[in-house]
Amino acid sequence: MSGTPACYPAPKIYCKQEVVEIVRLANRYDLSIVGRGAGTGLSGGALARQGGIVLAFSRMNHILEIDAENQRALVEPGVVNLDLSRATEKYGLYFAPDPSSQKSCTIGGNVSENSGGPHTLAYGVTSNHVTGLELVLPDATVVQVGGRNMETPGYDLAGLVIGSEGTFALVTEITVRLLRLPEEVRTLLAIYESLEDATDSVVDITARGIIPAACEMLDGWTLRAVEAYVHAGFPLDSAAVLLMEVEGVREAAETQADEIIEVCRRHKAREVRRARDARERALLWKGRKEAFGAVGRVSPSYYVLDGVIPRTKLTPTLLRVEEISKHCGLVIGNIFHAGDGNLHPLILFDHRDPAQFRRARAAGEEIMQLCVEMGGTLTGEHGVGMEKNELMPLMFTETDLDLMRKVRAAFNPVGRLNPGKVLPLGKGCGETRLQPFPLSAGGNL
Amino acid sequence: MSEVAESLASRLAELSGTGRVRTDPKSLAAYEVDGRAPSAALLPGSVSEVAEILRFASAERLAVIPIGGRTHMDIGMPPQRYDLALDVSAMKQVLAYEPRDLTLGVEPGITYAELDRSLRKEGQFLPLAPSFAERATLGGIVAAAADTPLRYAHGTAKDLLLGIEFVTGEGVISKSGGRVVKNVTGYDLHKLLIGSLGTLAVITRLNFRTFPLPPGRRMFVAAFADLSGALTLGRAIMKSPLQLRVVDLVNPRAAGLFTAYSGSILGRDSWLAVVEAAGHEKVLERHARDLASLSQDAQATEFVALDEDHRERLFGCLCDFSPIAFGATPAATVFRIAAIFSAIPALLEDTRKLAECHALDCAILIRALSVVYIALLPPANPEVYPELASCSRKLMTLCVKSGVAPMIERCPLEIKNALGIWPPPGTEREITQRLKHVFDPHCILSPGRFRGGI
Repeated sequence: MSGTPACYPAPKIYCKQEVVEIVRLANRYDLSIVGRGAGTGLSGGALARQGGIVLAFSRMNHILEIDAENQRALVEPGVVNLDLSRATEKYGLYFAPDPSSQKSCTIGGNVSENSGGPHTLAYGVTSNHVTGLELVLPDATVVQVGGRNMETPGYDLAGLVIGSEGTFALVTEITVRLLRLPEEVRTLLAIYESLEDATDSVVDITARGIIPAACEMLDGWTLRAVEAYVHAGFPLDSAAVLLMEVEGVREAAETQADEIIEVCRRHKAREVRRARDARERALLWKGRKEAFGAVGRVSPSYYVLDGVIPRTKLTPTLLRVEEISKHCGLVIGNIFHAGDGNLHPLILFDHRDPAQFRRARAAGEEIMQLCVEMGGTLTGEHGVGMEKNELMPLMFTETDLDLMRKVRAAFNPVGRLNPGKVLPLGKGCGETRLQPFPLSAGGNL
Repeated sequence: MSEVAESLASRLAELSGTGRVRTDPKSLAAYEVDGRAPSAALLPGSVSEVAEILRFASAERLAVIPIGGRTHMDIGMPPQRYDLALDVSAMKQVLAYEPRDLTLGVEPGITYAELDRSLRKEGQFLPLAPSFAERATLGGIVAAAADTPLRYAHGTAKDLLLGIEFVTGEGVISKSGGRVVKNVTGYDLHKLLIGSLGTLAVITRLNFRTFPLPPGRRMFVAAFADLSGALTLGRAIMKSPLQLRVVDLVNPRAAGLFTAYSGSILGRDSWLAVVEAAGHEKVLERHARDLASLSQDAQATEFVALDEDHRERLFGCLCDFSPIAFGATPAATVFRIAAIFSAIPALLEDTRKLAECHALDCAILIRALSVVYIALLPPANPEVYPELASCSRKLMTLCVKSGVAPMIERCPLEIKNALGIWPPPGTEREITQRLKHVFDPHCILSPGRFRGGI
């Protein structure tokens, strides 16, 4: 995705004081500011839509403290997600949110977008794992919200700021909660002849009281694209695979894995494989986490969608997505967090063909409308950004949006931070009204 | 009834329906907050009625306190003004429940116990088990950020609430979040309403994620001669791979109160670690083995698995710690202090010295190894209030200095007035006030009850 070039080169900042100084400068010269972590977001959150200053946090990347006894870490916003889990592994701890981009995305970016990942089915998204934030507000004041403790008397400002996509404040320090690494992890791959059998298995697994740590689905087209690239061992002739993980104490992981295998077989799984060792497990996950890259090899461009539906609506929704694919004449692959109904349809197109571009965008909008009709939402983890801000009225009334605008104004009264994101652009508000440009080439922004 | 009150009652009856307005003193006494009764109590039946009432109240600048089961009304400062009680107990429908999606939408007035019975029929539960479960409403549980022993495994309302519908202080109906288990669309305004004590909006619908009931559960109690043994076990549990749903520690005085409240559980003179595991039999056996071993390593004097009857009673005591302490003596002052684990020993040692110095008894519950409840227990005698206030003030100061997060959950009105229940606001004060203004520009919702005088 590309955006309006920033008016000023992105300053790489090293400390909070520099952030404060730049905010003061921005106020003096009336410039907008966009915070940026690694720029891996998929809704355009880190793009300077209206120019101004892009504040790159990539050098503010220090893990300031690991407090193993209390299972906390204090980090700067530019710390890469996976680096934190690697640094805390020796204490038997890790940071639970694990977006597919975790090798490069930053904790600050995770806070902005309230990022998820495959394991959020069991462990929740970023807001469930952050206890405190240090903020620089658009008037250059520094505010602490939350702290190391699990709760703070007063309004949950940290909970509000997480997921506000950089439109409320710039985050300069983050206190995260670390989880204990599980004793046992069992990774399963269930292979199906029909997509419906796979989705029925997902519903039945949770209905039986099993909440896997992760439950991912790849449809036939996608798994073939992935297999050609990653060689994870996905069977090329199947209609869908479920990649599932259960973890915890050995006895619980064993029992749950057995139960899941039984459910999958009952729903006509052709085969259920167990990863035999860490290498096999890593390979299966590589297949999942590098899937977007694999798709990039077979199509000049693709559009990654992110919508959520109730998991019981998986089958009818996927059938409708198939219909949309047919009538728009574009391949749509499906790879998603099935356990929590978080879809990621991938619409393949050639960005050099304006007609295909238009059809891809229309198909994306249709799928988003479908998610909302099914009782779901516009985004489960990628954020609204500038991709879906004009779709917000599908979920929210003008009254709802007006209150959100007022809440944003309580932090960011003149719209200096990340303008043109999250909320629909109001008529005559002075912000440049751009068409949403949600199309991704290669899966990286 | 005065002429003004009659006119008010008549207008309110139009808004809320005849029969759903109370103005007689006997009814209104039940709605007292910190000794102050409203001029009228209203029982709306729908979100549109709530909105109508709040538009009227906003226009007339009448102060409104939203009320559910009245189980957590002690939390908060005395209201600066209080004209109308907005009792949501008539709004108690389950609006949507799809067991296979593990999601639920309810009106705010449904009680936890009633909802729990419905969910159990489908083999599910909502892990918010509060105090006074038979009376506590879901709206109240969220608005008061009521605590639960199950937080060790499931977190709190923040982790379970998917979305919310609410009415602002201007009578505007709004919503945030959604009905599915994963959602980052729009700003999470519902996070602000958790624990806001009705100072921002009136909650009219709550969407939660539910959980399957575990196939089995077993509660264990380990007894220790002193705090350090109990903390050693707590530390060992944190470092272990065990998956527990309850890990609460109680001091001998609290154990004594529990015994008096619900019969004998274990020796009165011990610190107790109360832990619960859930899962299949093999999982429970593994936890039993490991916990017995860890308890032995921590010098436990006793380690037992409870039968279902004792488990129910002890779990009830853990939920009801604060009201049990308050029941022991109406002068009880109960602190709720969020603290990282390593801060707990020093906090409790300082508390012990303070209480000793002021000749006060202390019942202590360490919830989920992260929230410390300290009940200062003086004799029920107003003469002790200065001593109690002095001790409470020192404890509050000590907490603020040492970086833990205190508030007073329950205390006599005299202490509230003398001391306040909140720590002083920090750097977030201004932004908090701006947010209050956004939701409730005329300050009609629960005025003065919240931190920072909001």
